[in-house]
Amino acid sequence: MAVSMASQFFSQEEGTSEVVSTSERVVELLNMAALATNDTKITMLKQVQELIINKDPTLLDNFLDEIIAFQADKSVEVRKIVVNFIEEACKLDNELLIKLIANLHMLLKDENVNVVKKSILTMTQLYKVALQWVARSRPPSEQQESCWDLVTEMAADILLLLESDNDGMRTHAVKFVESLIVTLSPRTADSEVPKRQDGDISLEQIPPDHQFLKYNTLRDLGKQAVKELLKFMAHPAISSINLTAALGSLASIARQRPMFMAEVIQAYETLHANLPPTLAKSQVSSVRKNLKLQLLSVLRHPSSYEYQGPISTLLLDLGTSQGEITRHLPPPRDSNRKRAR
Amino acid sequence: MPTAPLRVAVVCSSNQNRSMEAHNILSKRSFNVRSFGTGTHVKLPGPAPDKPNVYDFKTTYEQMYSDLLKKDKELYTQNGILHMLDRNRRIKPRPERFQNCKDYFDLVITCEERVYDQVVEELNSREQETCQPVHVINVDIQDNHEEATLGAFLICELCQCIQHTEDMENEIDELLQEFEDKSGRTFLHTICFY
Repeated sequence: MAVSMASQFFSQEEGTSEVVSTSERVVELLNMAALATNDTKITMLKQVQELIINKDPTLLDNFLDEIIAFQADKSVEVRKIVVNFIEEACKLDNELLIKLIANLHMLLKDENVNVVKKSILTMTQLYKVALQWVARSRPPSEQQESCWDLVTEMAADILLLLESDNDGMRTHAVKFVESLIVTLSPRTADSEVPKRQDGDISLEQIPPDHQFLKYNTLRDLGKQAVKELLKFMAHPAISSINLTAALGSLASIARQRPMFMAEVIQAYETLHANLPPTLAKSQVSSVRKNLKLQLLSVLRHPSSYEYQGPISTLLLDLGTSQGEITRHLPPPRDSNRKRAR
Repeated sequence: MPTAPLRVAVVCSSNQNRSMEAHNILSKRSFNVRSFGTGTHVKLPGPAPDKPNVYDFKTTYEQMYSDLLKKDKELYTQNGILHMLDRNRRIKPRPERFQNCKDYFDLVITCEERVYDQVVEELNSREQETCQPVHVINVDIQDNHEEATLGAFLICELCQCIQHTEDMENEIDELLQEFEDKSGRTFLHTICFY
């Protein structure tokens, strides 16, 4: 009922859009949202976001505080919209990180697990955005330095969530850690680069003379994150879903950062030999199926060449036919080199 | 209750029988549900096991209905295919292929292991964008009318239980174990990310 009222409002709005400016529409929507019930409020805030992020970004600065004020809203969905807004706004204008990172920090500590999970996903996106923004500023400002300090603190907080009591929270933390590792390790010639992440920053792009970003510190942070993820996966009471998420993340790390290939294959071997005793029979089937899928995806990567033996053994153990294994082998290295020339 | 309604997808091979039966029941219970097939074509039984009626995913249920009505009204009335197509065309215009849908779901329920494998492979092959999780659960259902009905009720019960959890991701593992014990079936379950 509430939604249909909102849609009525919007259709009326469209009729008069020629005479009402975008700014006036935003004011009107925000005023109405303040008094609206949850569903209507959500629809209106989404409209506002669309208007000031996509339609007329010059309005973003004007209405920032009004939207951020909704982070204290009682509704979980409204707070999640604020998190999403922070992500979109900071991606559009990196300078807004200075102002908004503290708000995201608060939302990352929200009392509701769904708001925290949404904030983790946003941090998965914004960590690399923040690093790129700070790395490319010459010279970086003090404000940028304190902003980066807070981002680093938030990343450490999320790493700790690998030990959360909440299964979903741990899963989200795994995805953050995956992205953190990829960002904090160098992209090499044989790195698989997803198209969407082509422009993303990675460790080798950190300027050697940067005022406060230090290559070695960031590299060690990345390596520590790999250790944490491997430790997480080796926990004897890990849930099947956490295990599935970790298996996928490790495969993705191995393909994007082949320098970790050996550790990943080793972790897969250990896991295969010691599946957590807490898993039910059907969960064992699900995990084995997933392990097979991830092994095949790693096998396709040219850098898995020297690990083809152990990978094939694992795959055969998991019921993969020799034919399927052969189909997933990468082209021989020599032909790769020829192509590269 | 979770704060947002669960976005559910039910997937079988041809988006005709099992997924549509579940789609029908779930939408009657006000779920936010869509249904799909993973096959390359839509297959319906024909005059002999080796002579199926094959359509592409662009063909509407209405067109299939008219085609089979023309081909052999008696046969397709007797084996329930016309009745099924009639039900389907009241739900949506045409079958949809899962691999062509880029919308996000919270829960994808598949009706056989092969379909589960195809769904998981498809989701894993996509480039990750938001890292938003989607749970994929397989409930084995034989592809006939009776089993589709029983399976749809089971899927519906499962969705209702999941929808009513305080924290779906934290409780889904335990809930599935309880469902396995209660129904005597086993479910494959995994998580993928958009």
